[in-house]
Amino acid sequence: MKKIRYSTLAFLGLALVFASCNDAGKSSNGALSSSAAEKVYVAPGEQDEYYAFLSGGYSGNLTVYGLPSGRMFKEIPVFSQFPTSGYGYSEETKPMLNTSFGFIPWDDLHHPDISQTNGELDGRWVFVNGNNTPRIARVSLSTFETEEIIEVPNSAGNHSSSFITENTEYVVAGTRFSVPVPQRDMPINEYKGNFKGALSFISVAPEDGRMNLEFQVLMPGFNYDLSHPGRGKSHGWFFFSTYNTEEANSLLEVMASQNDKDFIAAVNWQKIEEYVKNGGGTKMPANYAHNVYDEESHTGISTMKKEVITVDPTMVPGSIYFLPTPKSPHGCDVNPTGEYIIGSGKLSADITVHSFDKMLAAIEGEKFDGEAYGIPVLNFEEVLAGTVKSGGLGPLHTEFDGKGNAYTTFFISSEVVKWNVGTWEVVDRKPTYYSVGHLMIPGGNSRKPFGKYVVAMNKITKDRYLPTGPEMEHSAQIYDISGEKMELLYDFPTHGEPHYAAGCPAELLKPNSKKIYRLDENKHKYATLGPNDARVEREGNEVHIYMSTIRSHFTPDNIEGVKVGDKVYFHITNQEQDFDVPHGFSIIGQNTSEILVMPGQTKTSVWEPKRVGVWPFYCTDFCSALHQEMQGYVRVSPTNSNIELSWSVGE
Amino acid sequence: MKKASILMILGPLFLLGLYFLPLWNIMLGAPQYPEPLGMNIHINGIRGVSEFDIQNIDGLNHYIGMRTLPKDEDMWEFSAFPIIVGGMVALGVFIGLLGFFKKLNYKWFWGWFILMSVLGALGMYDFNAWMVDYGTNLDPNAIMKLTNLDGTPISYKPPLLGHVKMLNFDVTSMPASGAWFMFVGMTLIFIAGYLGWKNSKSAPFLDTAE
Amino acid sequence: MKTTTKLGLFLGTFFLLIFLIGCKNEAKTVTRETSSTPTTSEAKEQGQAFIEDDGSTPNVLNIAIGSPDHTTLVAAVQAADLENALVNAGPLMVFAPTNKAFDALPAGTVDDLLKPENKEVLANILKYHVTPGNYSKELIMKFKKLGQANDQNVEVEVKDGEVYVGGAKIIASVKAGNGIVHVVDKVMLPPAE
Repeated sequence: MKKIRYSTLAFLGLALVFASCNDAGKSSNGALSSSAAEKVYVAPGEQDEYYAFLSGGYSGNLTVYGLPSGRMFKEIPVFSQFPTSGYGYSEETKPMLNTSFGFIPWDDLHHPDISQTNGELDGRWVFVNGNNTPRIARVSLSTFETEEIIEVPNSAGNHSSSFITENTEYVVAGTRFSVPVPQRDMPINEYKGNFKGALSFISVAPEDGRMNLEFQVLMPGFNYDLSHPGRGKSHGWFFFSTYNTEEANSLLEVMASQNDKDFIAAVNWQKIEEYVKNGGGTKMPANYAHNVYDEESHTGISTMKKEVITVDPTMVPGSIYFLPTPKSPHGCDVNPTGEYIIGSGKLSADITVHSFDKMLAAIEGEKFDGEAYGIPVLNFEEVLAGTVKSGGLGPLHTEFDGKGNAYTTFFISSEVVKWNVGTWEVVDRKPTYYSVGHLMIPGGNSRKPFGKYVVAMNKITKDRYLPTGPEMEHSAQIYDISGEKMELLYDFPTHGEPHYAAGCPAELLKPNSKKIYRLDENKHKYATLGPNDARVEREGNEVHIYMSTIRSHFTPDNIEGVKVGDKVYFHITNQEQDFDVPHGFSIIGQNTSEILVMPGQTKTSVWEPKRVGVWPFYCTDFCSALHQEMQGYVRVSPTNSNIELSWSVGE
Repeated sequence: MKKASILMILGPLFLLGLYFLPLWNIMLGAPQYPEPLGMNIHINGIRGVSEFDIQNIDGLNHYIGMRTLPKDEDMWEFSAFPIIVGGMVALGVFIGLLGFFKKLNYKWFWGWFILMSVLGALGMYDFNAWMVDYGTNLDPNAIMKLTNLDGTPISYKPPLLGHVKMLNFDVTSMPASGAWFMFVGMTLIFIAGYLGWKNSKSAPFLDTAE
Repeated sequence: MKTTTKLGLFLGTFFLLIFLIGCKNEAKTVTRETSSTPTTSEAKEQGQAFIEDDGSTPNVLNIAIGSPDHTTLVAAVQAADLENALVNAGPLMVFAPTNKAFDALPAGTVDDLLKPENKEVLANILKYHVTPGNYSKELIMKFKKLGQANDQNVEVEVKDGEVYVGGAKIIASVKAGNGIVHVVDKVMLPPAE
């Protein structure tokens, strides 16, 4: 009897094992595949291995791509108004684009950098810089929305930005153009010796990412082109490439190409931070905007800051040294161990590599070759680790694969060159199409790169795609770098002009990506938390419509009593709590864009009716099978009419 | 008889699982819902598998004129079932204890088993009746009024057990973990009855020899 | 004792059962055909140099090709595979020795350089004729030296209002879409390092 019982149980158990999980197996013959097409093919229903955040350059926005497929997933509005979502048009997001110069609808977005912990990507935020009206923005990697923008005073052409230190202590913003600090009316040709280059250190609060401009180092009036942080052993230092050490103020293509060598500035920010903490530095009056978007109130608030601490570097001895670097260096990259600082002279055929250890020894041994404005210039030979004789022309930027190799782009000779870090020998080279600027390996400028793919972002497209008239999107190429030789896999267009990109494994972000905003956490001042809450209120000539949306109607959808000359605010709350069910809103004759409202979110659209009539509004996002039915009317009466304000739905 | 009684005491305790585990589960998957919507039916109410599933199911159902899913207070069952289950657990344990102290025989075990089975069947019948009502008693002003080929209105009644394709939705209805607990408890009691019966036929000393 | 063991087993099986029921069936079957495997090929005559474009201002390579006085230079550029280096965005400044300038070299020099085994030497010489930049003759006067594409410097001298680069006199200048071509009367030979 007992035996039977046991075997029955065992059988039952086994049967269940098979019933429940027998079809969960995976079969793949991926090991056999080696063609380029297969390597970039992400089958329908499957997902990419990496996220890539490509700068949009003059689009002012950041684009999100998948690698290796090269498919674009989203454009995140940062510095530019974006009618697609209403960013910069809705009342809530207009403050995000406020500056000390007033509202600015655009900027030139350059260098994305993902937040790090211990020198490794942590996937919390991506930082980007606005180049034209100097600003730094922080984009959340759970909502993929811009959460904060801080203006950088005393700066101009915010180019050697927005790079972060290895624990995201600071996001650093260096000025490309030196300017009078503070700004004043003076002759341009008195530039030399009078203009200053501000290097700004903006702290990032570990818990919520809030930024604060802690101090600015006022450097000699060179052009600070690019920068990267020290990491590992060189953590605590930051390296900035410079050009125009000639301090020319006109025809720079000639005048700034006179010196055989410019500098990489090595800045010991920890030393300066300590100096400032002990009361050092000068408090200078300033005026700069700090714009913060709150996820719960769905509202951005802009505040003007009035003061900044500036530091004269000569007051902090030992904090800054110049490393001579040939031919107007552009890229300034630090390898994963933090030992090598790579300077790419953009008019050169060679790549110059400095050693951090040798730099420390040279400082210790006072191997100086004079000074510039009181800042010691280290002897070139004493800090030089090696020169890469590339055979190319016009090196710009370098990324690393974490396996001891570096990859440098060459603009003029239009290629990516792979070289060994240590022997300085060229391992491989592949052409790009055409005239490559930046390149990106996910994590390629951190302690832990993911050296599987490199993406080359080109400046010139020409015949790569079907022609689209004189203006074309820039091309990018993705190469497999898992082997000894690079293999060109795929070619895809980008949006705007990608100046640099940042990438990370999909798994780092995917689990944290928000699906909806919770309605029960919505703290918007004008939220409509349920259809019963919907109403219309008049305050003088302002009419506030508290409107709710759910598939497939607005509440209310008939509104009367609005008059010509009123300012009508549609405060729209999307009641959906379902992933990917936004509703949109627009009304005829509105002098602004539509808005797109995510589930649980509230957004406000303004309309100033100019003509008497009955005017329709509708949902701009195909939300459901009855999307075309999702509409309503506002009756606009003459200014002097006495029609009572009223609203309804389904009556 | 001791062993049988212990099983009789343990068996009903598995029913306590119904207080925190769902009895039944209905999942609704569709191409636009790669992560299916789902509802768990507990003895005291209907809960979403994910937080906003009930709201979203109601949102979809309004197109075909279904009433919204009942709140806990909308159906007498959701207040009665916990009491009935509690009562049956207490009764079962009580019978088991009396059996352990040889105050009554295995027939009482069978008795509990049959009573519980009848109650269970009634529960299923009631559940099915509710689904029929819910799936067919639709708002005449529904946005979408769909009919079968013969002109009769389509029924949106979910299956009691198994899978049905309903418009673009795949609807799967299965017993959930609470029900599995209950089945195990019932099996234990069935075995208890069986052991008791076997004991009653054997010599009493065999029992004590165990 | 045995009873409890059995019960334990029973319960154990039961919990296993619950556990198994809880496991989701996420079946994924990926099959990939490996038969036709297109790979990206990099043909030699690919790149910007080979784009047909009649509308744009000619680039420095177009100018050289179009000039009857520069057939030797063009042959040399082709022999060194440098076409693509002369057509990118630049800016590029090319010092273009005339056929006469090449003829002035010792007899046999050009023929030697055009041999495949001397490709590197030839490329180095040609790159010594290229500056990353775009400077008119007047602007060149502002430099003492220019950094050339082979990473060597070349001296700039001004004598009697004429500009000499590496000893070669600029005798004409043609603006190009991606820079400028200065026609010179001598072949500039890179100094030995």
